[in-house]
Amino acid sequence: MIRLRLEGLTRRFGGLVAVDSVTLDVAAEGVTAVIGPNGAGKTTLFNMISGFVPPSAGRVLFEGEDITGRPPERIAARGLIRTFQLVQLFQNLSALENVAVGRHLHTRGGLWAALARPGWARREEAEVDRRARDLLAFVGLGDRAETSAAVLPYGQQRLLEIARALAAEPKLLMLDEPAAGLNAAETRALSEIIRRIAERGTTVLLIEHDMPLVMTTADTVVVLDFGRKIAEGAPAAVRADPAVIEAYLGGAEAAHA
Amino acid sequence: MTNLRITTSPDRVRALLRLLPGAIGIALVAYALLAGGYLISVVSFGLIYAIFVTGLNLFMGYTGQVSFGQNAFAAISGYASAILTATYGWEPLLATATGLAGALAVALVVGYPTLRLKGHYLAMATLAIGLIAYEVAVQWQSVTQGYMGISGVPPLGIAGFEITSERGNLLFLAAIAALGVTAAALIRHSRVGRAMAAIAGSEDAARALGIDVARYKLLAFLIAAVYAALAGSLFVHVVGFVSPEVFGLHMVNLAFTMLYVGGIGTVMGPLVGAVVIMLLPETFRAFKDYQDLAYGAALILLLIYAPRGLASLADLLRRRAGEGRRA
Amino acid sequence: MPDPAYVAQILVSGLGVGCIYGLIGIGFCVIYNASGIVNFAQGAFVMLGGMITHALVQRMGLPLLPAAVGAILLVAALGIVVERVVVRPLWVRNATMFAMILATLAAQIVIERATLILFGDQPKTLPAFTDLPPLRIAGVAISFQFLWIVGASAAIILGLAAFFARTRTGKAMRACAINREAAALQGIPVGTMLALSFALSAALGAVAGILITPTQYTAFNVGLPFAISGFIAAIVGGFGRPFGAFLGGLALGVAQAVAVFALDAGFKNIAALSVLLVFLFLRPQGILGAAK
Ligand SMILES: Nc1ncnc2c1ncn2[C@@H]1O[C@H](COP(=O)(O)OP(=O)(O)OP(=O)(O)O)[C@@H](O)[C@H]1O
Ligand SMILES: [Mg+2]
Repeated sequence: MIRLRLEGLTRRFGGLVAVDSVTLDVAAEGVTAVIGPNGAGKTTLFNMISGFVPPSAGRVLFEGEDITGRPPERIAARGLIRTFQLVQLFQNLSALENVAVGRHLHTRGGLWAALARPGWARREEAEVDRRARDLLAFVGLGDRAETSAAVLPYGQQRLLEIARALAAEPKLLMLDEPAAGLNAAETRALSEIIRRIAERGTTVLLIEHDMPLVMTTADTVVVLDFGRKIAEGAPAAVRADPAVIEAYLGGAEAAHA
Repeated sequence: MTNLRITTSPDRVRALLRLLPGAIGIALVAYALLAGGYLISVVSFGLIYAIFVTGLNLFMGYTGQVSFGQNAFAAISGYASAILTATYGWEPLLATATGLAGALAVALVVGYPTLRLKGHYLAMATLAIGLIAYEVAVQWQSVTQGYMGISGVPPLGIAGFEITSERGNLLFLAAIAALGVTAAALIRHSRVGRAMAAIAGSEDAARALGIDVARYKLLAFLIAAVYAALAGSLFVHVVGFVSPEVFGLHMVNLAFTMLYVGGIGTVMGPLVGAVVIMLLPETFRAFKDYQDLAYGAALILLLIYAPRGLASLADLLRRRAGEGRRA
Repeated sequence: MPDPAYVAQILVSGLGVGCIYGLIGIGFCVIYNASGIVNFAQGAFVMLGGMITHALVQRMGLPLLPAAVGAILLVAALGIVVERVVVRPLWVRNATMFAMILATLAAQIVIERATLILFGDQPKTLPAFTDLPPLRIAGVAISFQFLWIVGASAAIILGLAAFFARTRTGKAMRACAINREAAALQGIPVGTMLALSFALSAALGAVAGILITPTQYTAFNVGLPFAISGFIAAIVGGFGRPFGAFLGGLALGVAQAVAVFALDAGFKNIAALSVLLVFLFLRPQGILGAAK
């Protein structure tokens, strides 16, 4: 089954073609990694898929449905949840509350429920609390529930953002450089977490610079260079692809490849 | 004070700290009731402002938006109360309800385009809205009697039972303010409140989690408008008089100073700030010009040196307590 | 179809006020470029320009010109005071944009109230600079004050253009506008530039206030509407572009004049403020987007 299909997706910024006619099928099962040198257009691709940046041309199909140009909140409601390259936590809230916000789409309490607190709303709140704590435990932050998100160390902030995204029960989870700023041990733990997310049936689409992480975690690798898709396939095959080696050696990213 | 039950903190000290402002508030009202006289009026005004500032806090502290125009909604409802009762002889309660509905309707119409603006633009637009309300109050003389204002507004009451005693007023206002603060606390600790706080934290992240940002901003704006309108009508009925100056820039200045004294974004901050500012001795004497000067200067100092107001004091105590526990 | 002379009259009156808005708008841009700050106390400078000139003429018996120059210098000095006492402490603490807005608005209120205490609440006006009956050109009355406003604005714009293009200080301020960090690395004293920008911006506001006062009046509370108008002028011109702001001011002035003539004179301010809101709501997204 195809979870996500991109057809000729293109984005221009003035004269710059940030993403150039990318066509791609993302299978429902497994982890797909998008790699490429700095400025290759990876984040812009995510922004178009998640509705934050309108495409200049092309279509985004989610489970066969055209979602091109819909606002982000509607796309999220469809089951497509993303994280950000620069962590975007709710700094004013505790870790637990951050994850609780992630339950927004699966709860329905409005103003009236907040004020009158009918039985169902109280049960809903209890359920939100339980789930949020479970997810914090899942990413290894079980003991940080009451901590303010702003004071968590960077690595834990990244994990918290993932827990928050998972609270929304995504069908497709898009992670933009989740390992950036993590140390080696944290990166290994992250790899494990991503594998487990995929095993639970969530499609994972991942942007990553950390090659060991990509090699151990991804089932499929897609390579972007100057906005174009230059390769796609199993990690080992892509790594051996001359066009990919050329792209990385040509750029400043040789060390990563 | 229902919020205390919702967020049961394991830490005793924390819970006590949260109780503190409410307890002091109750003690203050009780003391004013006993002492009578001048203090009753001071505390009454403090409570009315606490309602106004609680709404402001919901929109600004919780949701992270800017509005310098909340006085417009106080003015709409306040004038509706005054005009409908003094000129047309309506029941005060009915007039207040109509004023609230009118303010809400205007907030809806104005809020929709305004809330698409951000940052400086939003600040300027709301400032303009507040000024427009003031100008209308001044210029629409056939209805508002211009600078003269409208006097002889009857006190609140239902079907002949008017609250005529100052003590009755105070009790009534205390009840309304307690309801208002409780409602704000309930909202803050709910799905709606979390969505608002998420918007304050990061609009992009909120949208990425499916929160309809425009809708929740508007909701926060409308709730804040209801609080402002309620405060406006209460003021007019309690004082028996309305004029443009009542809801002018003076109100904005005072409200923000209270908000920052008490601690923006905290549930109890508005109540604490309003009462503290009202209790400052020179407040209630007739020197309104010096008052605004003093509040403006105080606001600047707070913004620079204590942007979290008295709430940072509570933080300090809490941290002390936390350290004590760990040790 | 309205009488063409009548339409021209509206245009003239709109352009006159528009120049004033333009000057205030430039004041916004000068500070914004130097610091990224939108100064909500800008209206206080406009109000004080007229007020202080009036006081110097009435109380000290100075002739108009020296009084005006004195007022401009005093207001420029006050601009530096606002920068030192209100803006800089917040700036060095990396205060939020909202704290800065609120603090400058509070400064506006403090200045307003101090003016009220010092000068009373009675509206004041200044004599026209040239006391002659208006010129009549094809049925359109053109007052000498209008000519003063247009002439002074043109002179100021030319002067500013020369200042930014030729002088070291002007170039340094432009460098700050383009990239503050880079400017600081090049040894430009960014802090001094901030103070200078407040002085310049306050002086511009004072000039605007002095020029407009003979055509209407000034009082302690006229500042805020002027500030909002100047802000919108800056937006229309593409925030941060001083000369765009001036054109924006002209556009806004004309739009307001039309709205005011279409309505009862008593509702003049309401019409003017409503036009401001409409400009804000409809602001052409593409041209600007600089201010956040
Ligand atoms: N809003 C924008 N306006 C103008 N140009 C943009 C915008 N967003 C991205 N770009 C440009 O598009 C190109 C692709 O950027 P993008 O952020 O998608 O790259 P990336 O592959 O995510 O890079 P990195 O690995 O550094 O995160 C870059 O040249 C960038 O400067
Ligand atoms: Mg990127």
